[in-house]
Amino acid sequence: MAQSEKISKTFSTVTLALIAFAIVLNMAIGQLVSLLKLPIFLDSIGTILVGILAGPLAGGLTGLLTNLIWGLISSPVAAAFAPVAMMIGIVAGLCAKYGLFKTWWKVIIAGVIITIFNAIVAVPIRLYMFGGITGSGADFMTAYMLALGKDLLGSVVVTVFTSNLLDKVVTALLAWGIVKALPERTVSRLSRIDSVAT
Amino acid sequence: MLRPEKKSVATLFVSRKTWLHKLHPFNKLAYILLTGVVVYLGPAEWYVKAILIVLNLGLAIRGEVFKATWRLVWRTLLPLAFFMIVIHGLLYPENRTILISFYGVHFCQEGFLFALNILLQLTAVLTASLIFVLCTHPTDLITAISQAGFPQSLAYLVGSPMLLLPMMRARIRTIQDAQRSRGLDSEGSFKKRFLALFPLVAPLVLGSLVEIEQRSIALEIRGFSTTGPKTSFRTLSDTKWQQLLRWAMLSVSMLIIIYRIWK
Repeated sequence: MAQSEKISKTFSTVTLALIAFAIVLNMAIGQLVSLLKLPIFLDSIGTILVGILAGPLAGGLTGLLTNLIWGLISSPVAAAFAPVAMMIGIVAGLCAKYGLFKTWWKVIIAGVIITIFNAIVAVPIRLYMFGGITGSGADFMTAYMLALGKDLLGSVVVTVFTSNLLDKVVTALLAWGIVKALPERTVSRLSRIDSVAT
Repeated sequence: MLRPEKKSVATLFVSRKTWLHKLHPFNKLAYILLTGVVVYLGPAEWYVKAILIVLNLGLAIRGEVFKATWRLVWRTLLPLAFFMIVIHGLLYPENRTILISFYGVHFCQEGFLFALNILLQLTAVLTASLIFVLCTHPTDLITAISQAGFPQSLAYLVGSPMLLLPMMRARIRTIQDAQRSRGLDSEGSFKKRFLALFPLVAPLVLGSLVEIEQRSIALEIRGFSTTGPKTSFRTLSDTKWQQLLRWAMLSVSMLIIIYRIWK
């Protein structure tokens, strides 16, 4: 009974509306950021935000559903990486729970931790489903590593880690900055807000 | 301001009246699972995957979505195939047998076959998922989720992003225009562009987050969090044999997985 109560508290109506918005944010933000031509995609900013504001369960659900719905509306390949997005949300939520979203340098550490867990889930999918190649710019990196004489696993690990590190750290910093800038009346409606010092 | 431009976002769904479209969404999902399990855990022979691809394309013809399937498969896999064949043909670590050689660059058999195998696997799974995506109206999926006894909130989470996306895109265009007219530097140095990130992203997220409260109040007013059975506007046909088919596909998948772990 306690468990189901906990779940229904996690998924209050506000949290549901938050998750729905975060999913859309993940999908749409690329369009906004592409304006700046930076090597950053921010496609997990909503997931990390929900992780901070509503906990690991809600964060994981946000990531999972983002990629599944993405698969439905643009390309089924995105759905293959749904477990990765789920992991990002869970880890972000846990980082927030253990106080890693309180000061800027701790947030950077949280970004690095997220990148590591991202790689743990993404590497096997990339390796066994896609043979290490996904048809994106990151493939040049994999090719370069292979040319240096690394094995396929090593090359994919290096590629996934380096191509995500900057993105995840910046995403974590932005999410933290946004939560800090939220108005008081919105803040009071969200359950896990104590995870960010205000 | 949020101005809805279109009522809903365009999914890949192709509207037809075939039996594949009428099939319960869960059956098509179970079929994706079965295909994935057979492709990745079943027999390693290439022709198993080839047979599955032919079967899936046959299903796509019966569902009258062959053109869309064909187009999406090429669009997804062509860049992938190019990188895959070139990189693995030249650099796959177990390359031994040279197929073509020019100016000291060797294109090898092992990497080529490895790339072909991966591409066959991907094509089989992709075609199976396209049958689901192209022949299932999103509303049918949402109805299926709530009728199967999953929480209403899950159905909401699958459905509402598709309605919200066009609004979000409109809002992003507004922010882009506003920041550009204020002289946002999108051409300058890396550091300048980097610092422009927060002023670009923050208004979008903050504005929407504040709106969430109103949205949730709107949901509450409509009795969203009430318990008890809810009536659905749409009904899905779910016959006995459809349920049987679903369970059969799930059991076969489970058996293959257990067999592989056992071995």
